[in-house]
Amino acid sequence: MNYLIHILIMINIYIILTQSLNLVMGYTGLLSLASAAFYGIGAYTTALLMMKLNVNFFIALPLAVISSIILSFIVAYPSLRLKGDYFILATLGFQIVIFSILYNWVSLTRGPYGIPGIPQPSIFNLNFNTLPKFLILSTIFSLLTIYFFYLITNSQYGRILKAIRDDEIATKTLGKDTFKFKLSAFAISSGISAISGALYATYVTYIDPTSFTISESLFLVTILAIGGAGNLQGPIVGTLFMVILPEILRFLAIPDTIAPNVRMMIYAIILIYLMRKKTKGIAGEYGFD
Amino acid sequence: MPLQFIANGICAGATYAIVALGFGLIYNTTNVFHFAHGAVYTVSAYLTFLFLIILKIPPLISIFLALILTTLFGVLIQLTVYQPLENKKSSPPTFLMSSFGVYLFTINLIALIFGNEVKIINPGIEKTFSFGDIILTRIQIISLITFIIITILYFLLKRLKIGKLITAYSNNPDLVEVLGWNGKKIKITVYALGSLLAGVSSILSAFDIGMDPYVGMHALLISAVAVIIGGVKIFEGAIVGGLTLGILQSLIIWQISAKWLDAFTFIILIIFLLFKPEGLLGKKLRIEETT
Repeated sequence: MNYLIHILIMINIYIILTQSLNLVMGYTGLLSLASAAFYGIGAYTTALLMMKLNVNFFIALPLAVISSIILSFIVAYPSLRLKGDYFILATLGFQIVIFSILYNWVSLTRGPYGIPGIPQPSIFNLNFNTLPKFLILSTIFSLLTIYFFYLITNSQYGRILKAIRDDEIATKTLGKDTFKFKLSAFAISSGISAISGALYATYVTYIDPTSFTISESLFLVTILAIGGAGNLQGPIVGTLFMVILPEILRFLAIPDTIAPNVRMMIYAIILIYLMRKKTKGIAGEYGFD
Repeated sequence: MPLQFIANGICAGATYAIVALGFGLIYNTTNVFHFAHGAVYTVSAYLTFLFLIILKIPPLISIFLALILTTLFGVLIQLTVYQPLENKKSSPPTFLMSSFGVYLFTINLIALIFGNEVKIINPGIEKTFSFGDIILTRIQIISLITFIIITILYFLLKRLKIGKLITAYSNNPDLVEVLGWNGKKIKITVYALGSLLAGVSSILSAFDIGMDPYVGMHALLISAVAVIIGGVKIFEGAIVGGLTLGILQSLIIWQISAKWLDAFTFIILIIFLLFKPEGLLGKKLRIEETT
């Protein structure tokens, strides 16, 4: 039962991450490989504020979001001036640089030693220190996030993002400053990703840089590619699929030493298959074409 | 006088240049961001390990077999994964994701079979040779010689018919097909050559520092940076970019610290992307000239 709750909490955390990336990738059409970096910034900012300055989780959280947004401007402002492959490479570069800073600036982040003993969220007299309570907390956040993106994507702002994705030049001719829209989408996405980071940090109570590598960024992109991007259900389907599939594999009694590798191989085959047959993924609306 | 550092940098840059040349060849000709180049790279090292250490086949034959199979693997990826996507006129991100899928599958298969730990082919201390103030290991010298041979072969190949065909195809694929050449065969050649180069570089590195399933990712990233720095649209750019990157990395290790190596490598990439996207050898293209 506890394990089931753990799975559900991780699903919530990843739904927030994939919904965020979906805004940039599915609605604006930008393949960003830097998503894990903002996830990490959210986690580290929250952890450091809570532990070094004794800030309450619910105050650290918005501060983490803001710091993630500020960082996203530094990343997006130069990167968005590049087209196609070069944009992707730039986000890749920033991802690796940010990871490197988290890993090597040991005096601030404790680098590879990680930050242990992160306190759990508490407000007034309510302490989220049990699995069921954290499940409720994370579910509230993921539902709020889904609702938030529902509002954004169904507004004029969302329609303009989709227009940029489908035909940027046409959108420009209609008088829209596409750069500003792309920049803001990137910022929103990074800010919301920080929420996932904060939840992850206070759930596992230990973070280290290895959770926020380029592989994690690629994993998030893969979830969207498999589950689908460009609508609200794609990321949810993708997350459920990617989290539940390994659990089903357990029944096949694959040895634990090779189970992670087998899991990745299955994801990879599904990815290749979907890119060939159905680039929209299982439930998406926007295929890469 | 950091002569030793520059020497180390050139030797490292030599292996970078080889794998980057392979990557650049493929990227320039087919416009596919061949993420799976990293998989090809890793496969080569592990095949060598399989033949040399596990099956105890003599070194030269092991290397020869590994290179042949690596080349075939690269061609196989083109035939089974990329060509069908090209037939469907898929977009670049689709290729990138498929390529990543191939990479992910291959790396995990290798990790599954061989394990995640570092494998060494060449135990013990390498013989060193002194050239004045500089000391080079045997494998460094072999890397340099291999690099020089490959560079010479590259310039020869450029003047042969196949070289001209590849250059033409990278410039205007449709026109080449209209003139009656077989584009599919050209692409197969490109993937074969590119994968062979990746294989050579991988084996050089494997003999130097061993291998683990993640060397491919690192090699791929280095290739991408080298190609951008050198100049994407120009095949020689990868060679220049690889050498430059090797030397820059060595200087960073000397002046700053090895732990910041990745960060600086990618800051260099970002600077080039923003301020000199045509690379060291490239010319600024007008928008009309970009495909």
